[in-house]
Amino acid sequence: MRSVAAEREAVLVERAKAGDRDAFEELVRRHAERLYAVVLRFVADGDEAQEVTQEAFLRAWRSIARFEGRSRFFTWLYRIGINEAKRRAARRPPVVVTSLEDEPVPEASDWSEAPEARSDQRDLLDVLEQAIRGLPLEYRAPIVLRDVEGLSTAEAAEAMGLGEAALKSRLHRARLAVRRALDQYFLDAEP
Amino acid sequence: MIRRLLQRRRFMREHRWTHTHLSDYLDGNLDRAGRERVEDHVGLCSQCRRVLATLRRTLAGLRALGTPRRPDLADGIIEHVRDQG
Repeated sequence: MRSVAAEREAVLVERAKAGDRDAFEELVRRHAERLYAVVLRFVADGDEAQEVTQEAFLRAWRSIARFEGRSRFFTWLYRIGINEAKRRAARRPPVVVTSLEDEPVPEASDWSEAPEARSDQRDLLDVLEQAIRGLPLEYRAPIVLRDVEGLSTAEAAEAMGLGEAALKSRLHRARLAVRRALDQYFLDAEP
Repeated sequence: MIRRLLQRRRFMREHRWTHTHLSDYLDGNLDRAGRERVEDHVGLCSQCRRVLATLRRTLAGLRALGTPRRPDLADGIIEHVRDQG
């Protein structure tokens, strides 16, 4: 059974499909910030993320009449946004710095219980952001959608056009890679 | 000798399986038998125990990254779509 919010959104989508601009603008208000947050982690900076978000909504508006409702509106929208971000990223030379090797960092300690004061929390979040940005795009999307934005596995798979098994496999490898980057961070921080 | 070799092979098989399923374990995607399989191995393997604990902490950090607030964003997009659409 769909929630009241989902029902309202379905009504907005139907109206937008019929050409109702007000309904589409309400969809923009609902989803713009979250789409921006996703594409921000695929592009160079906030300005480019804004351009990609704008372009994604423009494409969505131009093609919403063909949206068949087989996926949820926001996963369809995320897919458009991610594809646009990937298209732009493909123009730049690849910058992959986060290793997808599974091997643990030698000598790394168990930092799972490390108090926040051991290192500056801002530094830690920066390391996480850099590790995400260093992942190949096909591994970056699952971790951004699932772990940062909090989509379910089914929603993230839908947004990427993948099966759930493939999504889970990429997600696990991406998580291990980011975890490994933190291994290195805590190792470097040790006195 | 042979017994030890078989134990080692079993340990490594469980090690590989556990390593591959740590995310499923943390996401609650495993059935009871799968969860017990992970927990049994993690109880014996310090490396997997450490990876599991630090992976859990990694996920907490990822969830704390949050969404940057851009309250003016929607208005700009709406204007753009009105102009171009």
